[in-house]
Amino acid sequence: MRRIVSIIILIIIAVGFIFAFSKIPFGKDKINVANYYIKKGIKQTGAVNIVTSVVLNYRGFDTLGEVTVLFIAAVGLGAVLFVERKIQKNMDDKEDKTKRASLILRTGSRLLFPLILLFGAYIFVHGHLTPGGGFQGGAIIASGFLLMYLAFPKQRINKKTSGLAESLSGLIFVGIGLLGLVFSGYFLTNFLPKGIPNTLFSAGIIPIIYIAIGFKVGFELTGIIDDLLERSR
Amino acid sequence: MSGIYNWMYYIASGGLILIGLYIVLVKTNLIKIVIGLNFIDTGINILLICIGYVRGRTAPIFSRPGISPANVVDPVPQALVLTAIVIGVAVLALALSIVIKVYQHNKTLNVTKIKGLKW
Amino acid sequence: MVNPSLLIAVPLAFAFSIPLFGLVSKKIGKYIPVVALLINVGISFILIPQILKKPAVVSIGGWSPPFCINLVVGPLGVFLVTLISSIGLLVAIYAISYIKEEPTEKYHMLFLLLITGATGIVLTGDIFNLFVFFEILCISSYALVAYNKDKEGTEAAMKYLIQGSVGSSFVLIGIALLYGMFGTLNMADIASRVTSADPTFLFISLAFLITGFGIEAAVFPLNAWLPDAHSSAPSSISAILSGIAIKTGVYGVARMIYTIFNADGILTFIAFLGLLTLLIGEMSAFRQNDIKRLLAYSSIGQIGLIVFALGIATSLGVFAGLFQIVSHALAKALLFLAAGYMIYRVGSKSIDSLSGLGRKMPLTSFAFTIGSFSLIGLPPFAGFISKFSIVYAAIQVKKPIFLVFVVIALIATVIEAGYFFKVVQNLYFKEGKNVDNVTETSGYIIVPMIILVISIIVIGIHPQFITGLLKGAAGELLGRTGYIGWVLGGS
Repeated sequence: MRRIVSIIILIIIAVGFIFAFSKIPFGKDKINVANYYIKKGIKQTGAVNIVTSVVLNYRGFDTLGEVTVLFIAAVGLGAVLFVERKIQKNMDDKEDKTKRASLILRTGSRLLFPLILLFGAYIFVHGHLTPGGGFQGGAIIASGFLLMYLAFPKQRINKKTSGLAESLSGLIFVGIGLLGLVFSGYFLTNFLPKGIPNTLFSAGIIPIIYIAIGFKVGFELTGIIDDLLERSR
Repeated sequence: MSGIYNWMYYIASGGLILIGLYIVLVKTNLIKIVIGLNFIDTGINILLICIGYVRGRTAPIFSRPGISPANVVDPVPQALVLTAIVIGVAVLALALSIVIKVYQHNKTLNVTKIKGLKW
Repeated sequence: MVNPSLLIAVPLAFAFSIPLFGLVSKKIGKYIPVVALLINVGISFILIPQILKKPAVVSIGGWSPPFCINLVVGPLGVFLVTLISSIGLLVAIYAISYIKEEPTEKYHMLFLLLITGATGIVLTGDIFNLFVFFEILCISSYALVAYNKDKEGTEAAMKYLIQGSVGSSFVLIGIALLYGMFGTLNMADIASRVTSADPTFLFISLAFLITGFGIEAAVFPLNAWLPDAHSSAPSSISAILSGIAIKTGVYGVARMIYTIFNADGILTFIAFLGLLTLLIGEMSAFRQNDIKRLLAYSSIGQIGLIVFALGIATSLGVFAGLFQIVSHALAKALLFLAAGYMIYRVGSKSIDSLSGLGRKMPLTSFAFTIGSFSLIGLPPFAGFISKFSIVYAAIQVKKPIFLVFVVIALIATVIEAGYFFKVVQNLYFKEGKNVDNVTETSGYIIVPMIILVISIIVIGIHPQFITGLLKGAAGELLGRTGYIGWVLGGS
């Protein structure tokens, strides 16, 4: 019964999709507002990666919201999976102490971990020049931490420090926005000098915000992994 | 031939969305339902990218010489997909944490067996 | 003039900084939402007279409107922001001593971010930004519904999360279709181009958007999550969800129908759906024995009434619907706060266990009584004026079908009066069994209740305090050319 009703609903939606998609031709040039970004982006923001200039400058408010959504997920996960300290300790004692990862995994991850962090940092520092940016770099950094968790299941990151880093980098983002409000009257304005396009020190506030986002996303995703590992036992 | 080429990506995105919806509506395992939600997200991301694509053009990054504004694709959907992916990750993480709690309380993931509230 | 983007930036900054304040002292965290929302209430009261003179369009990032995200602060926006931050402030004061379950720091962060999301939804002028703030609101409310970590709470949160994220996916599909057609995300820009598109295409994208927002607004076929989520969340969160969160869903539906699509054709259908929601909500509420579930079902009924009034689509009808938003937000927040503390003191959610509380907790019971009388629509409370204007507006339409609608709405009101009188009678005229050691509340719990009681009575006696603002807001919803003109510069 439930299956038949669902299939009828899906067929209705599918018909809607077919009709709607037929009105949006695939692969045709239908760029409208974005032409402005493509033509004027480099001059106005100093970033050669137009996607970055859209993400952080023309639509920077979305990105602030997006950072907030990830922050909510990390905080909410901590709240939902929260366990009182005492119970936590007891469970740690009971746990099997002999569980260890294999030698290859431990040695390999020791070798790879700094390189992964370096690569993540490279991605978010060069967000305004090459494909990538804060979110991607942060995800790479978190993957490095995930590797460490697999290799050394006993080790934990310091939750207090990572929480502070999260809120500091969030505050830097909002603070830069408010500075824009002070200097030029608009929230999140690119008020710093734009520099010469295609060099590392260009594009005003964009690299600074991307570095903050990189740290924030890296710590938040690591915190999510940590919570899921620790609290779900 | 070109007809299929034109429709291929739309079929992929619409198909993923419909499969995800089917899983959410019909399946009874909570983990499967969460996977279904992720299917829907992925389908929408592909849809957004399809909408921004212009045939024969390249990514809107002017770091190499020789790329002119006339031959890049629409940058806005790519920015939107970035946001949508992050939101999808956030929902997924929270959903999994709530599933863990539901499992701890009920010792089952089957929604028809969780009798506390009417589903 | 104060920059309206502070309304979003200030609570965000405070929410991010709660862990930093936690370094100084663990006790500061619970006062941060009060401080942040106090600032917001201040800003919005400063903005009201300025906005009524001239609506403000604030660009974020400094480019001119269709090329950047902009906030559109018209009468509707400033009205809803004032409502959201005032109710949020009162609930934040209540939560100072109500929330005891650890980790309280995280509760206050999530609460503040929920209010920020609601504020962003009603202010933004960009459809994708609307989606982002909608997600902020939804994700923080999923986490908060599960906050008690008990069996019902987590199950309700799971149910809410599944339905809510399908809903927001639908919103995103609608946005993607609109972007594919028009190549722009600015709501005013889309609204000015809407006439050039194919009507069936528009209908499909409107259907996706309305289904998506309708899930959050809990309109009839999409309301399965609401009773569980609202009844098993902590009471302060129930008050926020019932008072504010579902109203933002209604705002989304109204903004899509009136401003962007100008879809007059489906308004009667929307009114019909609202009426169905009203009837089903009130009939289910009548059967409940759990006080919070009763209030949750009554919220479904009231949301139906609001949607019905917005579907009338005359300026009086929209005005009445907005007035109903105010009176329902005040009354339902009051009811959930009062009921939450009674439950805390008695230790049970069933209505029977509340009997005899009228003598033991006189102030709380009195507040509950005022709230329920206002919801039923008795004079001289705020609910009377809003219900009366809805009925008056529906009769003025002069279509026979609306007369039938009015009769049904009145029947629903009688049912509503039936169950609320039952509860109030239980409070005052029944002997309690085990309520001997129950004492009256004090301090931070009672202050917000008293403020809510006073505002319900004051608005009921002197509605002219808010009618000017509400008329402006109704004018904004109905006058879409004006809205387009503010944003795109009148061209």
